[in-house]
Amino acid sequence: MLRKIFRNRHNGVRGLVFFVCLVVAIEPSLVAQTAGMGALTGRVTDASSNAVPNATVTVTTVESVENGQTRSTTTGTDGTYRFDGLPPGNYRLKIEAAGFKTLEIPSATVSGTGTAVVDEKLEAGEPISAKPAAASPDNLPNAPSSIATSSSATAPSLSDLGISPEQTQGNPREQALLDKRTHMLKIHQRLGLITTIPLIATLATSINAGGKNTSTTSRDLHTALGAVTGDLYFMTAYYAIRAPRVPGTESRGPIRFHKAMAWIHGPGMILTPILGIMAFDEKNKGEKVHGIASAHGPVAIVTAGAFGAALLSVSVKF
Amino acid sequence: MNKKILIAFVLLALPAFGGSDSQWVLEQSSLTYHVSHPLHESEGVSHAARGKGVCHAGECDFLIAVAVKSFDSGDSNRDLHMIQVTRGAEFPIVTVRTHLPESAAASATVNADLEIQFAGQTAQYKQIPFKLETQGGKTHITGTIPATLSDFKIDPPSLLTIRVKNEMPVRVDMTWHPQ
Repeated sequence: MLRKIFRNRHNGVRGLVFFVCLVVAIEPSLVAQTAGMGALTGRVTDASSNAVPNATVTVTTVESVENGQTRSTTTGTDGTYRFDGLPPGNYRLKIEAAGFKTLEIPSATVSGTGTAVVDEKLEAGEPISAKPAAASPDNLPNAPSSIATSSSATAPSLSDLGISPEQTQGNPREQALLDKRTHMLKIHQRLGLITTIPLIATLATSINAGGKNTSTTSRDLHTALGAVTGDLYFMTAYYAIRAPRVPGTESRGPIRFHKAMAWIHGPGMILTPILGIMAFDEKNKGEKVHGIASAHGPVAIVTAGAFGAALLSVSVKF
Repeated sequence: MNKKILIAFVLLALPAFGGSDSQWVLEQSSLTYHVSHPLHESEGVSHAARGKGVCHAGECDFLIAVAVKSFDSGDSNRDLHMIQVTRGAEFPIVTVRTHLPESAAASATVNADLEIQFAGQTAQYKQIPFKLETQGGKTHITGTIPATLSDFKIDPPSLLTIRVKNEMPVRVDMTWHPQ
């Protein structure tokens, strides 16, 4: 088309002027963000606000860390950088420069309509991860003065909010208690899950163990599986019972149902094997299971039902 | 001569009036974290945040603080678990700091740079969009902070050995009034 324009006009200068105008007209749309896309720009400086050229700036989509889309650029001589055509969303920023600590910004939001501006200062030093900063006495919430000083002399402090230093003090002993509690309840949870396997198998083998035409082998298998279930169950219960209580905490929510079910499946897990042994003896003597031993099956079913309900009650909540 | 003194006084006084200090106080708030698990979505809400903004020379510094223990998900077991994983007993207060121009209060939206201290870590979030609505002298602010557990080096809690997702967005709903 351009060739045609030039040929038709028979005037190189006029054609060139037209071509330049065309490029100027098209250029902004080439450079501008695609509709619905955003841009991210900023300036990287050192502690003295001098530009840091040749710093590598990398943006990665936050939504998917594993499969994050990554783009990189380097800062110009004036320390500026720019990413165009970024889909709207949250991006991680990493700024690396020789002689400076690597800076990581967990999230910068890019909208589809504007340009996000992220100006950053780099700290001199070895290139190590700087943000989010590791815990140190200066960046803990109970040391607000240093933060206030770093941002502004007028910045409010925690004491301005009526929060006393005592309220901001950590309690390592309570944290240790919580850590122990979580550790024991994790084991409780895992053992509880493992217990369901022999429990289901025990219930399944009860069909061949309790009927008229049953073999000793079926009963032995059922008994063995029941014993494994019982052992695992009591190990599971141990970790729940021995997990430390946190003073001043009232049980609320699904955990109350979970605990209530323990009052059913707990005694059931004691009663079921006792009744089972009685039923086992009667069967071995060639007798029909009778008396209190005949409650072995119903008690076992109620026990297993309560155990399953307890498991489900914490499966839909954590 | 008197006129000159008066003019000089007015000229000197103007910047002082222009840069007069003002303060904002957080009246009420809802901070809601959201955690996703393949079996369950859960949220914890706190209405116990305290906040203050101090403005000087057209620039405002805001500080919002909330106790980790004040978040309530309706399940005491989950709340204790969250306090444990977020090291809430060691670091009982979450703080959010931001710096905004005073004129932002008149805008419909504002993009704020946030510095959040939580679980013994400091993370910065840039250009987080918030909606502002001013009515009757009060400013209502809503938005979502795209926080993740890894930003604060928090080991994701698990249910039935399956871990929750890394994303833990925090919905912010606050009402501020000038003091």
